[in-house]
Amino acid sequence: MYTWLPVSSGAVVGELEQYISSEYDPVRVAKKLADGISGAVKAVLIERNYNDKDYRSTYYSFYAKKGQRYRSDCVRLHFFDETVLFDDQTLKLSCADNRITDHYFGYMVLRPTGIATIGRTVLSPDVRSGASRYIITAHHKVHLLGYKLTIQGFPSMDQHVDIAVCAHVACWSVLRHYSESYCVYREFLTHDITMMAHEFNPGGLVPSKGLQMSHAERVFQEAGTFPVHIAREHSRAKDPSFYRQLIAYVESGFPLFASMHTRAHAIAVVGYEWRPPVNTAIPGMRYAWDEVQSLAVVDDNHLPYLSIPRTGGSEYSVEDIDAFIVALPEKVFYPADAVDRLAPALFKLGAAVGLPPQDETIIRYFITTGSALRRFVREKESEFDPQLLATIMKLPFSQFIWIVEFATEAQWAVGQVAARAVIDATASLREIMPLWLLHSCKQALVFDRRKVGLDSLRGVGSLNLDDMGHTGFTRMDQNLRPTQTK
Amino acid sequence: MDNEKSDGSMDNQEKDVSDVIKGLTPVDPKVLEAFTREMTDQVIPEILRVVEERRVLAAESRLWQLKC
Repeated sequence: MYTWLPVSSGAVVGELEQYISSEYDPVRVAKKLADGISGAVKAVLIERNYNDKDYRSTYYSFYAKKGQRYRSDCVRLHFFDETVLFDDQTLKLSCADNRITDHYFGYMVLRPTGIATIGRTVLSPDVRSGASRYIITAHHKVHLLGYKLTIQGFPSMDQHVDIAVCAHVACWSVLRHYSESYCVYREFLTHDITMMAHEFNPGGLVPSKGLQMSHAERVFQEAGTFPVHIAREHSRAKDPSFYRQLIAYVESGFPLFASMHTRAHAIAVVGYEWRPPVNTAIPGMRYAWDEVQSLAVVDDNHLPYLSIPRTGGSEYSVEDIDAFIVALPEKVFYPADAVDRLAPALFKLGAAVGLPPQDETIIRYFITTGSALRRFVREKESEFDPQLLATIMKLPFSQFIWIVEFATEAQWAVGQVAARAVIDATASLREIMPLWLLHSCKQALVFDRRKVGLDSLRGVGSLNLDDMGHTGFTRMDQNLRPTQTK
Repeated sequence: MDNEKSDGSMDNQEKDVSDVIKGLTPVDPKVLEAFTREMTDQVIPEILRVVEERRVLAAESRLWQLKC
């Protein structure tokens, strides 16, 4: 039932098919692994007769009804580094430090469907060749041989082709991430996603015809989220704010269901990589999006964390994405489009706060919670004037807030910011001052949300801050996991 | 995204910010006026326009078929 397969460079390609029957298509799987997994994976534990809940959901509703016989069980592959050993007599895993989970790189389920056999997979970005620097991940529990292992990753799988297509898989990936990350969201199996997309049971091969964007939106609504659907203007050159808000949501830790209309393809956007810092001779305000080199996507035709460039690319690029759905929690009313327009206007308050010159600033915005901001400030409390720290602790933030960070080019290069604004994510579109706070190192403007809508003079107060002796605040990077390439 | 609930206490929500945060001083009214004018004349109309435009674009894209 268990086979330990030491992996020397490229050898896994030839060996998997010796141990796994052809209905799991081990040759194609081994080729994909050889092409996409780093040399840090030194052993694969093959677990047979594995009951996979996602495959079973499709087996009960589809494969069991077919004339062709399908197995009901799967094979699961587990990936380890060179320090882990396996005793096939006692079925024990061991390593020198007794922390097997630290040497575990995740798993891949193989379905007995003959084609598109890669099922539920959670792989560490650390061993994915070419993975981007920052990836949205959750902790996934894995029970194996009596050990409880944990892997940080983002779920992925091949599409089934006949009963689920790329759009089903992208929805499933995002929702499985949610159920692993947040206790308010339940788990949905592959077949559940197929059912949620329609008002009725589509049955048979109807799902293989694909999903419309509206169906994907319906899936996220059924799952209890509040999906926001953003489509790009037809001319991408005219719509830079589409990409600015795309990266804002990803930086906020929300994976995106993204469509490429001309390719009739859907993917999940799960991470990004900054370009190397540059010194530009031409002044001009820039946005975080301008500093992005590539996005990380989960595409059902590839292993997870495929890195796609802004333009060009061998298959497709970020420019091909022309709509996305972000599955938000309920209390985010103020849209990214509004933040995108509000952020440059905050320079009108620059004289009262001490913002850097507008045409030398890089603007970054994202959603977080008041609690996360307070936790971040507490961790970096030496950077904050005690009065500013107390202000952040005392302001009655809404649960979700937008943060806008202002950085000079020099600060951006070292992960610092000059100033930060805290915007009420529950604000209305017509609010003139939808802010809680705008601060730099020297000055803070504090907004009383009970008064500011009625009387801006009485609703805003200024706070002089002591110089804490630093060149900038630490940039608030905390939602995505930095990849540690192995 | 963080999953935690806001911990702003009810006491704070009942009081004015100036009662809770000491040392606040008035802001130059000219700065606030300039910001208010910018928001009223430029930013809010632009936000309303772009949000409506996004709604129309989203409506058009809802029928896109995704199957590859």
